[in-house]
Amino acid sequence: MFLTELFRTATFRITLMALAAMAGVMVMQFGLVYAQLEAVESRRSTELLKGEAELLAQMSPEHLEYVIRRRATDDLRLIINSAGLFDSGHALIAGDLRTWPKGLKADGKPHNVEIYPEEGDSYPLRVLAEKLPDGTILVLGRSFYLLSEQKLMLRHTMLVAAIPTFVFALFLGIVLSHRALSRVKEMHEAIDRIMAGDIHERLPAAKEWDDLERLAGSVNRMLDRLERLMDDMREVGNDIAHDLRTPLSRVRARLERALSTGTEPEALEATVGRAVDDLDQCLGIITALLRIAEIENSRRKAGFGQVLLADLVADVFDLYEPIAEMEDKVLVAKEGEAPCFVWGDRHLLIELLANLVDNAIKFTPEGGRITLGSQRINGAATLFVTDTGVGIAPTEREAVLSRFYRSDKSRHVPGSGLGLSLVCAIAHLHEAHVTIETGAEGIGTCFRITFPSAFLQKVEDCT
Amino acid sequence: MNGTADMLKEDADFFSPNGKTVLLVEDDGTIAEEIAAELTARGFKVLHEATGDAGLEAALRLEADVMVVDRLLPGLDGLSVIETMRQQGIRLPALVLSALSAVDDRVTGLKAGGDDYLTKPFAIEELVARIEVLLRRPDDTRSTKLHLGPIDMDLIERRVWRDGREIELLPREFRLLEYLMRRPGQVLTRSMLLEDVWQYRFIPRTNLVDVHIGKLRRKIDGPGEEPLIESIRGTGFRLRVPD
Repeated sequence: MFLTELFRTATFRITLMALAAMAGVMVMQFGLVYAQLEAVESRRSTELLKGEAELLAQMSPEHLEYVIRRRATDDLRLIINSAGLFDSGHALIAGDLRTWPKGLKADGKPHNVEIYPEEGDSYPLRVLAEKLPDGTILVLGRSFYLLSEQKLMLRHTMLVAAIPTFVFALFLGIVLSHRALSRVKEMHEAIDRIMAGDIHERLPAAKEWDDLERLAGSVNRMLDRLERLMDDMREVGNDIAHDLRTPLSRVRARLERALSTGTEPEALEATVGRAVDDLDQCLGIITALLRIAEIENSRRKAGFGQVLLADLVADVFDLYEPIAEMEDKVLVAKEGEAPCFVWGDRHLLIELLANLVDNAIKFTPEGGRITLGSQRINGAATLFVTDTGVGIAPTEREAVLSRFYRSDKSRHVPGSGLGLSLVCAIAHLHEAHVTIETGAEGIGTCFRITFPSAFLQKVEDCT
Repeated sequence: MNGTADMLKEDADFFSPNGKTVLLVEDDGTIAEEIAAELTARGFKVLHEATGDAGLEAALRLEADVMVVDRLLPGLDGLSVIETMRQQGIRLPALVLSALSAVDDRVTGLKAGGDDYLTKPFAIEELVARIEVLLRRPDDTRSTKLHLGPIDMDLIERRVWRDGREIELLPREFRLLEYLMRRPGQVLTRSMLLEDVWQYRFIPRTNLVDVHIGKLRRKIDGPGEEPLIESIRGTGFRLRVPD
């Protein structure tokens, strides 16, 4: 069981590959040494045979014969293993080469020939035959014995070196693979626990020393993010349930009462009318939520184009001025000195601004003043809506941008509590920032949408 | 709800749905039943089909005057039904119903050849009002003057008179009145006005359109004059055609 798992680990497979590579390199190295050894020995033999032949050729024939005879018992045999002096008919005059080697030419060059002695096996010999001035032929031979010895030694060395190396590497590979396997196994177990529903479980990542731990760390961070998103979703789900339960309970109570009391047709009609209004509020909440989700998930910017902020301001002012007037509030549109163009979806940006103005009108008391406009601040295009209303405490500013948040001051004001979430979603799609500041002269609130300069750049490229 | 039906009956000489046939292509039985009941109560004939293919066949038979088609249908989807119909050269006005509320969903629906688009859930009043508007093409003649009862409108000079008395209107009020005058006697819902007069597709607060209509009404209907702009409870507004 362990072995099959072992073969399936990446570490062990890498070990085997490394071993194969090592073996390859070793074979190549030895091959090279082998070839070098042969070449060196061959050169050396040639030089020795030629040098010796040259020396001997300068001797008188009598002296040469004497030297050749004496060579049989001489230390020189270690270097020139065989020697022979033959007459022109290839008959031996003196020396330890009994017969003329088969196929040997007397051309003064070394040749590798097979020697067949009277007793024993044949053996190879590097032989040089030189014709002397008196017609005799001097034959000198050097055996391959030394080279074979060296080669044998090399082979032994290779085996002695390679086997422990391979065994050690394999052992190390198995140990490392086993360690990796046990860590991966721990991770698998942790993932199984997460899959079984324990979303707080995390993979063992220790201090993220190595790549496996760093990977586990990344997965853990991803799980953290997912857990946060799930919490958010759960929260939103609870909020929806909570926000829908109130109007739905009212509908139910009204209809039940109407059923049990069996009232007049007019009263019944009024009850049904109110029930429809309550249901409309529920549907409004659902629609707003779907719309936010849709904008948040929208990666498409199909409706994007060049938008002049002053036009948006004029449109929204046009739409809301009568409302403000009716509620005895003043709505003012201010145009910045420089025209501000942004890259965006006109419909969505109008919706954003309308939501902000709508909120500002809601939270400004009678006689108050709401100002909307566009201006350029430090080169960035901005939209702003300022009111002289109740204001938002600095501690609450972050929270009001989240879904369903209703500050205590706004409990009595009707609405789904989703207007600002929608504003944030639209701003986010445009990579714009929503900031909440204190209004002019320290009263009320100022909502500011700051567009990124990259979008401005895009606009300038188009103009 | 019944109020609207009564008013429509009063206007029978001006516009009557009687004899008009609505082809309803909707796979949800309950919704189809509700819509059909409401339309029948208002004097329409209703042909109901539950699949796209059957709906397309019915449309090609040319028996209906207007078509209401759900976007998501078993088999052929609503938009394909309309596209196929348009390719065959059939100009039957079509209203698309959809549970999808994607930002550009409406645009897709209109591009496919739909004449109007309504997102679920919708008020049945809204649907009926839109069907009636589809059945009666607005008076978009090229004439530069509009005339309706006591009201005269000069589209070139952007001036309005009632019985010879000139009325000063802001540009947005002028646009609103022009829209109403081109569709006299028809019930126009708040979302229709927002979509067509302001080109907005959202309603941040319910009384937005009412405030604008209220301001226009105070200028048009002077003291002692017969009120021309009527509010229809729970639905929208209507420019009355005086006898």
